[in-house]
Amino acid sequence: MVPLLYFQLLGAALFGIGFYGVLARRSAVLIVLSIELMLNAVNINLIAAASYLNGTGRFAAFDGQIIAIFVITVAAAEVGLAFAIILRMYRNRGTVNVDEINLLKW
Amino acid sequence: MPIDYTANLHLLTPEFVLTALAFLVFTVDLFLPESRKEWLAGLSVVSLVAVMVIAILMRPAGSVELYGGLIVVDSFGLFFKIFFLAIGVGIIALSVEYGRDRLDHRGEFYGLLLFSILGMNLMAMSRELLTAYIALELLSFSLYVMVAYGLREARSNEAGIKYIIIGALSSAIMLYGLSNIYAALGTTFFAGIAEELASPGTVSPVLWVGVALLVVGLGFKLSAVPFHMWAPDAYEGAPLPVTAYLAIGSKAAAFALTLRLFAEAIVPAVNRWDEWQLVIAVLAAVTMLLGNLVALAQRNLKRLMAYSSIGHVGYALAGIAVLGSDFALAAKSVVFYLVVYAVTNLVVFAGVTAYYNRTGQDNIADLAGLADRQPFVAAAIAIGLFSLAGLPIFAGFTAKFYLFAAVADGGFLWLAGVAIFASLISLYYYLQVLRQMYIERPPNPDHAEEEHEPADGHEDAHGHGGHDEPPVPPMPRPSLLLTATMGVGLLVVTWLGVYPAPLLGLIDAASAAIVPLG
Repeated sequence: MVPLLYFQLLGAALFGIGFYGVLARRSAVLIVLSIELMLNAVNINLIAAASYLNGTGRFAAFDGQIIAIFVITVAAAEVGLAFAIILRMYRNRGTVNVDEINLLKW
Repeated sequence: MPIDYTANLHLLTPEFVLTALAFLVFTVDLFLPESRKEWLAGLSVVSLVAVMVIAILMRPAGSVELYGGLIVVDSFGLFFKIFFLAIGVGIIALSVEYGRDRLDHRGEFYGLLLFSILGMNLMAMSRELLTAYIALELLSFSLYVMVAYGLREARSNEAGIKYIIIGALSSAIMLYGLSNIYAALGTTFFAGIAEELASPGTVSPVLWVGVALLVVGLGFKLSAVPFHMWAPDAYEGAPLPVTAYLAIGSKAAAFALTLRLFAEAIVPAVNRWDEWQLVIAVLAAVTMLLGNLVALAQRNLKRLMAYSSIGHVGYALAGIAVLGSDFALAAKSVVFYLVVYAVTNLVVFAGVTAYYNRTGQDNIADLAGLADRQPFVAAAIAIGLFSLAGLPIFAGFTAKFYLFAAVADGGFLWLAGVAIFASLISLYYYLQVLRQMYIERPPNPDHAEEEHEPADGHEDAHGHGGHDEPPVPPMPRPSLLLTATMGVGLLVVTWLGVYPAPLLGLIDAASAAIVPLG
């Protein structure tokens, strides 16, 4: 059986890649996609942990898989909202490059 | 062991009613002609007051758990519920005129406000991480839309983008923390975390990572300092009533959640592990210093209020840091501070909104001579700022006094010192605003400089005396509603400053509900 740690490392790697994407990407759309990667890292963590905890006595009523479904739902809503706002920005300013979104600073 | 998920469900009636009324507002909005959208503001206020009454009438004796302990109905939750609903009423009072003149689709605005208040109520009641997270997202999602509500304003869009990206990032960090806590414990209940932290033996590093990331995520929501960078932009770009709401409502809700989380998950482990106090204390010190120092350089009022609110988050965090020493005292002073901060900020923002509605200006320099043009508005802003700075007579002094005394009592004398120093700094930039209003001359239309050009353009519409002898360009009266809001707010600010005992009694009862048993 693959140890739980491997899944957690996979999750951490995915989370790190997503975080790097948030910092390095210049397009608002790709930043949102990077955040999605981070949320999927969360899901990997949750589902792996849920299936490992299942055998131990520590399995609580609140299941990791249920949490993962909540995370997916919230993430979908978040992306919808984010793209709506980004679309507004595009209509008004003609760009979604976060370097050029600089009306507000200091 | 099967859990009875329908037990005590009637205790959630206030939340169900609020949800129904929020949907009702959205539905009625579809049928109202554009000229009658103000009715929705009235409907929302009526629903908020109705929910308040229901919540008070249906309060249980003691604390009652629902859904197998996911949510608890107790006096702490009740206190914050009333507090949030009252904030909602205040924000609606601020937004009626602003919405009519400057926002499209303003009907939905009130519906979103009701949903965000629902989220805030649930945040104060949840004692499990996922429930708290969903409630937090309900609040945040409504706020994302409200911040970006100026559809055609690039600044509002930009604020919305920055807010939603940082907000989503912080949610992801928080959820990652949650997933690690779940992996380590198999539970996401606050009490489960405390049990594991307090039990002897080594604590799994996965749990450490989880708790740390959870605190980081909360730090983003509170805009504590290393995680504050979204706040000034979101505040400046958002429509003014939403700025007020961000400063008052979302802060108060995040602190309600933080208080309960710390009370149930972290403070019980204080005997075994008290370094968290130092971590939070350093965070608080950095937050209050940086927030207040950067505020010195601001030219825009909304941005100034953003940095000032970051400073105030620092003070309240200092109270969180000493929760482990004398819980009841610290919790009480934090809650009292939040209430005072909310009322005071409401007064200031009502004044700023009254000015903005008439002139369309929100820079500090634009306030020049306001005391001659609209004495009451100037006085309201001035008293609000005095209270924020913590000068005696006003509520801000009492609140800061209690809070700093609690911090010093809790063994963080240096932190209380930093807090007093930070308050002194804050007095400087609050007085700058006062100087503009009371000492500086209003912009003279005869030799109008370039930067005052738009100001004169607006003034022309209202008074033609611009080129005559009187150097004071007249400013039309603010709306009755805003004047009334300022008046009531000022009364409360003074009352709480002079005679806070009744409120403190209520807060005592509220915070007694979350005192950790250990």
